[in-house]
Amino acid sequence: MYWVSVITEAGIFAILALGLDVIWGWGGDFDLAFYGYLALGSYLTFVLTIGKPTPPVQYILGFHLPVLLSILLAVVVVVGLAAVIGAIALRNLRDIYFAVTTLGAVSALYLLVENYTPLFDGYNGVYGLINPGQTALNLTYNGYRIVFLGVVLVLLVLAYLLVQRLSRSPFGRMLRAVREDERAAAAYGRPVFGAKYRAYLFGAALAGLTGGLFAIFISAFNPSAWTPQELLVIYAAILVGGRGNPRGVILGVFVVYIGFIELTRYLPSPASRPDFAPAARQILIGLMIILMLRFRPEGLFRERPGLDRGPVPPAPAAAPASQRAAALPGLTSEERARREGDASKAARRRAGKTERVGKTE
Amino acid sequence: MSALLEIENLTKSFGGVHAVRSCTFSVPEGQVTGLIGPNGAGKSTVVDLVSGFGQPDSGSVTFAGQPLAGKRPDVISRLGLIRTFQTPREWRNLTVMDNVLLARRRFASESLWRSLTRARRIRREEEADRAAVRDILERFQLAELRNELAVRLSGGQKRLLEFARIAAAEARLIILDEPMGGVNPVLGARIGEAVRQFAAEGRAVVVVEHNLPFIENTCHQVVVMDLGEVIAQGPFSGLRDNPRVVDAYLGMDQSHE
Repeated sequence: MYWVSVITEAGIFAILALGLDVIWGWGGDFDLAFYGYLALGSYLTFVLTIGKPTPPVQYILGFHLPVLLSILLAVVVVVGLAAVIGAIALRNLRDIYFAVTTLGAVSALYLLVENYTPLFDGYNGVYGLINPGQTALNLTYNGYRIVFLGVVLVLLVLAYLLVQRLSRSPFGRMLRAVREDERAAAAYGRPVFGAKYRAYLFGAALAGLTGGLFAIFISAFNPSAWTPQELLVIYAAILVGGRGNPRGVILGVFVVYIGFIELTRYLPSPASRPDFAPAARQILIGLMIILMLRFRPEGLFRERPGLDRGPVPPAPAAAPASQRAAALPGLTSEERARREGDASKAARRRAGKTERVGKTE
Repeated sequence: MSALLEIENLTKSFGGVHAVRSCTFSVPEGQVTGLIGPNGAGKSTVVDLVSGFGQPDSGSVTFAGQPLAGKRPDVISRLGLIRTFQTPREWRNLTVMDNVLLARRRFASESLWRSLTRARRIRREEEADRAAVRDILERFQLAELRNELAVRLSGGQKRLLEFARIAAAEARLIILDEPMGGVNPVLGARIGEAVRQFAAEGRAVVVVEHNLPFIENTCHQVVVMDLGEVIAQGPFSGLRDNPRVVDAYLGMDQSHE
């Protein structure tokens, strides 16, 4: 059952990472509020499903809705919050200014939830969402957890297909153009804010959904479950897997969550220092990020542009460098030599190291 | 021959600097209009104000009968105006094909909802555009590089990509900000040819440029700016006799330019 739980958690975070990748990988916006959307989705799923609070526990709403309806409503509210934060942060702020603004927004949300107890019972948090629908489905506790894993994996596949379709679509292409050069995108008629905003809301909707799944997964939720560090692990996973490539993103989450967080549990800790293994885990994750950035900054799977396989022209796109330079007639010999140099430089680049030359954020 | 773009009394200051002062000129369809003047004359500011990348303090810009005041760059672009920047601004990590395909500007298919629900249909409809783009790439000798990322092109190829995008956009007004910067003579000849062809297709073209032979060979009329003002306007051949223009820009002997 341990591995069922580990894979379920990785599956949930993979859906979350797919949403974040739309905002950061395609749109280029380093959003630090993102984990807050998962948290809000989680809290709302609780308070819409678990019924009235019994004092001294207190929280808002306290409805007794079917869990699926709760998750749906949670997604709607989360998208609403993202609509407000996005409208402020995406309008004119970019790069570090955008990041700091979203960090401010999520910090405000965090402090509000933690200190204003009537909302979600402050630091104690909400609990009691234990396998909703288990009796109706006539399942044992463990059976339910296995079925839930199946549901998460099906949702992950659906989310992947959805995001993959969007990635290949004109919308995905336009959003990446905005990421690469906003001014050029505007000069060619693209509403920069509109494009980023729609991507932001789409990503937030996936975060709201994962919030609902997370609620069922951990059956209790309080501020310690959504500290800002959690989001950095998601970013690390995207970076490792391949920013902008949905398949890579999913792989990255599984590598980071299972490979590093779970497997490092088996690291031996000397009896005198029981905190050794957890510390070593953090170091390993940090080390992995540094090594990835140094040796494979594009991730395990790089962002793959859709290739054109049309009939024209006859010459293959991967012609040798010299041939390509010769294919530009009427050039002076110096110019041709320069082209050739450029082409072989490009070939070297292709062979390995840097995909996103220069521009990263 | 009617004026597609009318600029009237356009004025813009940055702090205490009067970048553009009561600038007035018009741009007819089917012709190439050169916009020249020394560095700091306000040429690029005029381009920004016309294309919505800056808002004028006063004055008006009218494009095809529509006032452009307060409109965003993307809205102005959708009216049929395409501008370039001093350095080519290709979408670096997109392929050459995607760069030019984006310039076809099929905005309707870029809606998030349609992209999700009509994927197959959109892809089918896109085939015609892809074929058109392949032809354009062929024209600019980029066809076999079409699946390369734009970042891997050489400087000259990036210029060609810029022109391929403009050709794909089919705009009514094209504003080129220094298209000859860092371009060798052979490539320059090809760029001149492309500019003349845009005009021959009935489009209005504005070229900001310091390369005077290029201006002389390509432009039907020239607008000369200095210190934010228009100091002369007319055919290039008349400018050499204009003492203000010679003093401000051409100098005693223009062959050094």
